[in-house]
Amino acid sequence: MKDCKLSINGRNYNVQVEDKWTLLYVLREVLGLMGTKEGCGTSDCGACKVLVDGKAMNSCTLLALKMEDKEITTIEGLGNSDKPHPIQEAFVEAGAVQCGFCTPGMVISTKALLDQKSDPTEEEIREGLSKNLCRCTGYVKIIDAVQLAAKKVKELK
Amino acid sequence: MNRIIGSRTPIDDALAKATGETTYTADIKLANMCFGKLILSTIAFGKVKSINYSEALKIKGVIDVLTYKDFPSTKYNSALRFKGHGILKTETVLSEDVRFVGDRIGIVIAESLEIAEKALKLIEVEYEEFKPIIDEEAAASSNVQLHEGLDNKVGTISTGSDADKVTELINKADFVFEDKIKIPMVNHVSIETFSVIGDYKSKKVTVYASTQNTFAVRVLISDVYNLPLNKIKVIQPTLGGSFGGKLEVVTELVAVGAAMKVNRPVKIVLSRKESMIASRTRNGATIKVKSGVNKDGTILATDFRILTNTGGYVGSGMNVIGAMSHKLLKAYKYPLRYTGSPVVTNTPIAGAMRGYGSPQAFLGMNIHVNKIAMALGIDPIELNMKNIVDKNEVDILSFGNPELKECVIKGKEMFDWDQKKKDTTEYNKQNNGYIRGIGFGIGAHGAGVYPAHQDCINLLLRLNEDGTFNYWSASHDMGNGSLTAQKIIISEVLTTDVIDIESTEVNTETCPWNLGDYASRGVFVEGEGAYKLAEAMKSLILETAVLKFKVNKEALSIKDKKVWLDDTELGSFGDIAMYAQTTLQKELSVLIDHHSIAGRTSYGAHFAEVEVDKSTGDVKVIDYVAVHDAGTVINRHGIEGQLEGGIQMGIGYALSEKMTFDEKGNLLENNLKKYRIYKANEMPRVRVDFIENGDNGGPFGAKSISECATVPSAQTIINAVANAIGEQTTIIPINKEEVLNIINK
Repeated sequence: MKDCKLSINGRNYNVQVEDKWTLLYVLREVLGLMGTKEGCGTSDCGACKVLVDGKAMNSCTLLALKMEDKEITTIEGLGNSDKPHPIQEAFVEAGAVQCGFCTPGMVISTKALLDQKSDPTEEEIREGLSKNLCRCTGYVKIIDAVQLAAKKVKELK
Repeated sequence: MNRIIGSRTPIDDALAKATGETTYTADIKLANMCFGKLILSTIAFGKVKSINYSEALKIKGVIDVLTYKDFPSTKYNSALRFKGHGILKTETVLSEDVRFVGDRIGIVIAESLEIAEKALKLIEVEYEEFKPIIDEEAAASSNVQLHEGLDNKVGTISTGSDADKVTELINKADFVFEDKIKIPMVNHVSIETFSVIGDYKSKKVTVYASTQNTFAVRVLISDVYNLPLNKIKVIQPTLGGSFGGKLEVVTELVAVGAAMKVNRPVKIVLSRKESMIASRTRNGATIKVKSGVNKDGTILATDFRILTNTGGYVGSGMNVIGAMSHKLLKAYKYPLRYTGSPVVTNTPIAGAMRGYGSPQAFLGMNIHVNKIAMALGIDPIELNMKNIVDKNEVDILSFGNPELKECVIKGKEMFDWDQKKKDTTEYNKQNNGYIRGIGFGIGAHGAGVYPAHQDCINLLLRLNEDGTFNYWSASHDMGNGSLTAQKIIISEVLTTDVIDIESTEVNTETCPWNLGDYASRGVFVEGEGAYKLAEAMKSLILETAVLKFKVNKEALSIKDKKVWLDDTELGSFGDIAMYAQTTLQKELSVLIDHHSIAGRTSYGAHFAEVEVDKSTGDVKVIDYVAVHDAGTVINRHGIEGQLEGGIQMGIGYALSEKMTFDEKGNLLENNLKKYRIYKANEMPRVRVDFIENGDNGGPFGAKSISECATVPSAQTIINAVANAIGEQTTIIPINKEEVLNIINK
């Protein structure tokens, strides 16, 4: 076991980890941050996406020890039911949530996308979400949600 | 005029899901809980000679290793739906005889998931190996019995409309068309993999499971572990997608047995690969179809034969064949004979998957019909319209209001079929490296399971002191929003908002009984139950108001969560509940039972435009329209979402998804890199709409959508490719080499 200092959602954590532990394993099994989901474990589905220094990355294949000195944001860091992030509101309003298992990852990818491009085209949205698999929605209402989210985020600025 | 029926309502737990607050099974941690990893067979057919786990036991944190020797050998069928369900029992919790790569042999139990995974790698299993049989045709004709005393071809179901006349009619026709179509096995790919926690204490079992069928899980635990039903509690936390995959017991019985042995809660979460090989699949199939057709495109009769690959154990084999047996009869109006058999092979177990046989049957049939249209030079829509069911037409097994033709007419217009036909022809004249084509497909699927067996639900509703409601429905919402649809129905009747009705997770100890959620029961059966429940609550509120306000019931009505005497407001629902509690000394709650009197059939017609790259054979879907006969739309968001998702599944079925095996029975597409579901940047923008002419037996005239959504989809794409390249392809999913060969002919 090694000491590992992680900064997650603005809080500092000191945890003991093994060399091979992934960030996802630490989030879920050590810290109990269950909002980040595991859908494949092979970096193919995007359910485990978190923001690492603002970039959407699959936490299932990131080693926890390599995350020191980086700013990590999980779905819990964006908002909660009492104070949701506009992206989360947009996903609800657009009907983009069905089983919800891919949703935290989708919301994280959307955040990364909108931080880069405040007014993405449909094609850019599709490209931005192309690393996140959804099996329920056919992505139609998810694309609607991202467009709505872009509008909401802009209005806040 | 309905108030909220047909409106756009986000599913009730959408915000919790979008914020990551929802608890799925894998998110639950119980005190003293440990973790299990399954020991799965690495060979497709054989017998375990020895299992060496001494090294695994030496690892710190390993609690125990259990094998088939430690578990009951009681045979069961994981597809059991209710107590006494008479289906062939061929499976055991863990097995010495292994029949596919992924068959369960044992379990490693450890203090953490990581330790369990490490220990699993140290376990050595020695097998006596036999030659596996992968394909259903090969297994059907083989002399080797995969299950002792059971024919590989497990049974046969024959049905038909005027079936005895079929051969004669085919022979009488101007032309006879014959096709053989092979369809691969595919996977559900719910983003949540199979998860379970089993717990046993104080002589009582508690199970948290990603399941669509809590009450049947309870029955199987009772049968295998010889426990009374009232000592088994099965809870369904939020389900992260299912599509039929989580209908059958997969890991629940292992977790319970393990918990009993180690006296601690045991959690098992399957990895993606384990979920793909060791859970359930959609049956692969071989279809032989023959039709007699007249010059004008009128089909006189069809003989439809299908063998399904039901995998290593019988499971749902006969049930899928049975469910499939009458679906074509509900869509085609001429004499049709159906003969179907499930075949056991050495591949993963097939089970329920969205459409329960209908996608295979309609895929085969639609490809066949499209080939006929191409051969006769008749527009496929025109040819279909001559042969498909008319409005209000009655098939031999059901009644209701089929609106398939309305779906075709509306969809054709939305898609602008005639114009697109001209445009693609023009486009293809330019030699620009791409060719385009348009395709059409139809499909049907049932709503509700009656008369195959009982189809009922009991439901409970309580009026609280503040006028809000609690609702107990063992409706296993899979994210499809069936529970939200039920709340909309209740809200419509009781003039409340959806948010006023709070539901609980499905729990066999606290919810009234229900069947599992399959056969698209959520709106048609459970929703009608919710309607009756709300009507019963409305009566109870009014009867209580009569006592409180000393007025005639006939003059009373409800609006805006209040009781009214003509235009005068008498009091709120909360006032009535308080009066009941303080003066009458009772709670206002109603329990109703509902059973479906007959299933209904949902229909859909799909239209697609594809673009084929002439140099690579790549196919891109560039436009898509789908229109479905929904009876009545309850939640527009929900129904659109279902249809849009069903189309994505169908496009994958046509273009990218398959489970294929090497000769040793190893799955080749065993992760989500190799098993390709359609991504956001590959999906076309689909356009969907609905025919809402109502049907009877369901709430506000609604039938169902969830399964039917995917049924017409794959054939629509495959037929569009045929239109583009001028010849029907034979390999499913579409194979680039075959496409190129046809183009370069």
